Amino acid sequence: MINPTYLAQKTRTSVNWADARRRVIKSYRDWLRAAPEIQQMYSLNMPVSAIRTKARQEFERHRYVAQLPTVDVLITKSNEEYQETMNYWKQLTHVLKYFRAEDDPKARLPHNFVAGFLEGRN
Amino acid sequence: MPLLPRPATARLLAAAVRPASRRLGPASARTYADEGAHDRSVQPDPKSSTSDAPSAKPGDSAMIRQQGPAEGAPRHKPDYDVAVDYRTSKFSPIPMRVMDGSEPGEAVAAAVLSGAPTELQARTVRIYRPAKTATQSGTWHGHHWRMDWDVLEKGHRWENPLMGWQSSADFMQGTHLNFNTKQDAIDFANKQGYEYFVQEPNERRIVPKAYANNFLHSPKRLKHIRTK
Repeated sequence: MINPTYLAQKTRTSVNWADARRRVIKSYRDWLRAAPEIQQMYSLNMPVSAIRTKARQEFERHRYVAQLPTVDVLITKSNEEYQETMNYWKQLTHVLKYFRAEDDPKARLPHNFVAGFLEGRN
Repeated sequence: MPLLPRPATARLLAAAVRPASRRLGPASARTYADEGAHDRSVQPDPKSSTSDAPSAKPGDSAMIRQQGPAEGAPRHKPDYDVAVDYRTSKFSPIPMRVMDGSEPGEAVAAAVLSGAPTELQARTVRIYRPAKTATQSGTWHGHHWRMDWDVLEKGHRWENPLMGWQSSADFMQGTHLNFNTKQDAIDFANKQGYEYFVQEPNERRIVPKAYANNFLHSPKRLKHIRTK
């Protein structure tokens, strides 16, 4: 029997920063633990460590957020993504969106002005 | 039009909130939080001293710091190391800074949460009041404030090679946002991390005239003789 709300989290706000920290780390550990299953489920051509690095990168992107409500929304989004990924609601394209910067040469920004100028980005 | 500065409401806490050690993670993903080593909580030193006249040149105020191009370069230079997202293309402009939620103030860091492409924070937005339609006398459209996106340099429009249709890589082309007040529009742009400039409207100048003034006595020679 399919449980459509498997891995759904109840909506809640964090009481304080310590609570938010606990929730963030729990969510991060869920992603790390799920990395081999994601690789097997979506048949990704990358090692499990690459998936874990990407999870780390996404969490580090918001390391310096200063407001608790923003952190709450980010935790909610992380849980949403986790549910969608583990329930196989996503497709390969949705998962590979996160890896586009490494795979696609067109999805990169130039590293200085001259490189951008030579590729026609003026 | 000069770029209006972002609200520097409570920059004093910015240095204290951020931990001293550099964060782990790929070095290529740099964001607004660690831009430069200078402490942005300190205002730049004024160039004048108390011995200067209040206004050194006519029309010039000694209290406003004039920034030379070299001094403004760190603020206006595009940031090539900013983290890209999956929507970056060869037409995306390079942002100067990407909001990462560490900005002080009470404003919601909507740019972090909305999931909008980060290249939108690279594009300048114009906030203006639409002009009155010149062919009609009514001013019904000219009371709200509108937000408009500047065109892209390269991907703005090209001709489709098959049918000759106009193709575009600019997803904000032809998009306007309307606001009731200027401050609403500015708050929205700050919340979303957009670079913006405000274009003040040309106010209509109505000169009060009296027909009787054409016939007043003047001791000098009349320039125009309005009576027969």
